[in-house]
Amino acid sequence: MATWIPLWLHKLGSPPTFYRFAGAVMPWAMGLALLFGVIGLYGGLVLAPPDYQQGDAYRIIFIHVPSAWMSMFVYAAMGVSGFVALVWRIKLAEVVAMESAPIGAAFAFITLVTGSLWGKPMWGTWWTWDARLTSELVLLFLYLGVIGLYHAFEDRRQGARAASFLAIIGVINVPIVHFSVVWWNTLHQGSTVNIFGHSKMPWEMLWPLLAMTLATKCWYAASLCRRARTDILALEGGKDWVRAIAEAEGAR
Amino acid sequence: MSASLVPACSAMLRRDLTLAWRRRGDMAMPVLYAVIVVVLFPFALGPDLALLQRIAGGVVLVTVLLAMLLALDGMFASDIEDGSLEQLVLAPQPLALMLGMKVLAHWLTTALPLIVIAPLLAGMLHLPAAAMPALLLALLLATPLLSLLGAVLVALTAGTRRSGMLLALMLLPLCVPVVIFAAGAVAAAQEGLPWVAPVAWLAAALILCVVLAPLACAAALRIALDS
Repeated sequence: MATWIPLWLHKLGSPPTFYRFAGAVMPWAMGLALLFGVIGLYGGLVLAPPDYQQGDAYRIIFIHVPSAWMSMFVYAAMGVSGFVALVWRIKLAEVVAMESAPIGAAFAFITLVTGSLWGKPMWGTWWTWDARLTSELVLLFLYLGVIGLYHAFEDRRQGARAASFLAIIGVINVPIVHFSVVWWNTLHQGSTVNIFGHSKMPWEMLWPLLAMTLATKCWYAASLCRRARTDILALEGGKDWVRAIAEAEGAR
Repeated sequence: MSASLVPACSAMLRRDLTLAWRRRGDMAMPVLYAVIVVVLFPFALGPDLALLQRIAGGVVLVTVLLAMLLALDGMFASDIEDGSLEQLVLAPQPLALMLGMKVLAHWLTTALPLIVIAPLLAGMLHLPAAAMPALLLALLLATPLLSLLGAVLVALTAGTRRSGMLLALMLLPLCVPVVIFAAGAVAAAQEGLPWVAPVAWLAAALILCVVLAPLACAAALRIALDS
């Protein structure tokens, strides 16, 4: 075993330890998500100036862009933990991969809905068969396929492994979504925000966007912790530590 | 070990082809389904020649894809029921190679009849004869791709009860690029443009899948049967 990895990281792989850890992280992550969300929405919807061409309609990006980023980020997280689950057979990685899927699907769905709401006044159409829109739709279908496969098995762990495998196959779509505006000449605009270089966006519009990005990241962490805790309890039902928790809850 | 590979492969292929031949009626089903779907289009859209010509290539491609999807479900079904798939997993020969043979047999029995009937289907929709070679070549490359991709997904659902609709949901995202390039080749040929590029993309994807898909299929099957 590699000695440079701190011991608590190994301990986190054990369901009871992770259950307590997630319980401690969840309120903080949710609080940060609400804080950043309120700041970002106030900055985006009230403080940021209207766009010179689009007026106030552009403000949907404060929801649309962070959701789109998260739909890809969550898929990558699901793929990585699915890989860990298949290679090292860590029960917790299966839980994280499978509980990420519905969150990511929700982000992909929000991205598509807000995008089409914006597309109607700006492009004059709800939907167009453009590379980025289509690949985002395919991403949503991949999420739904993973969720469907997971629930098709009677044995949860077997279902989680099969669905993790499907998630790994589907990872190929994530770079396609990201680079679709570069590779094809699409109606969807190219990227405006650049992490390593100069963003083509004024600071008054950029900071609420970054705040909303942090908010969605924290919300994902909080939601994942909550879902994983429930899932672990169901998976480990019958073990002593779950019985202790159930009895403590019952006594209250 | 390597000496026993060739006989094992040919035995596998012969067994699956014999099984398919004994149930010839099942082989005709996807073809009948494709004919029925294509016949429905002129009824739904009206017999307008220009319109039918424009959609012919796409309709034939999607029909062939759907007909293959119907047949995919049964790729490993009978072998799982009688337990011969477990024996295959335990066999000393590499599982990926044996599954590759099974996919080849499945392609020969379901997709090849569809490709044979495809010119007739395209002719019923008045596809110009000039686009026919492009359509056939695109189908020849796209159908084994779909068989290979489908085999991985069928292997994943091997341990489940209800897999029909689930298979469609899982195959849809993976077959989108195949449909795009195959339809792109036919559309380019119809307009008199060079259509080699999309066909070359299909061929590249097929080569990649021939190498990787049997390995992925074997891994998926081990996961699905591991209980």
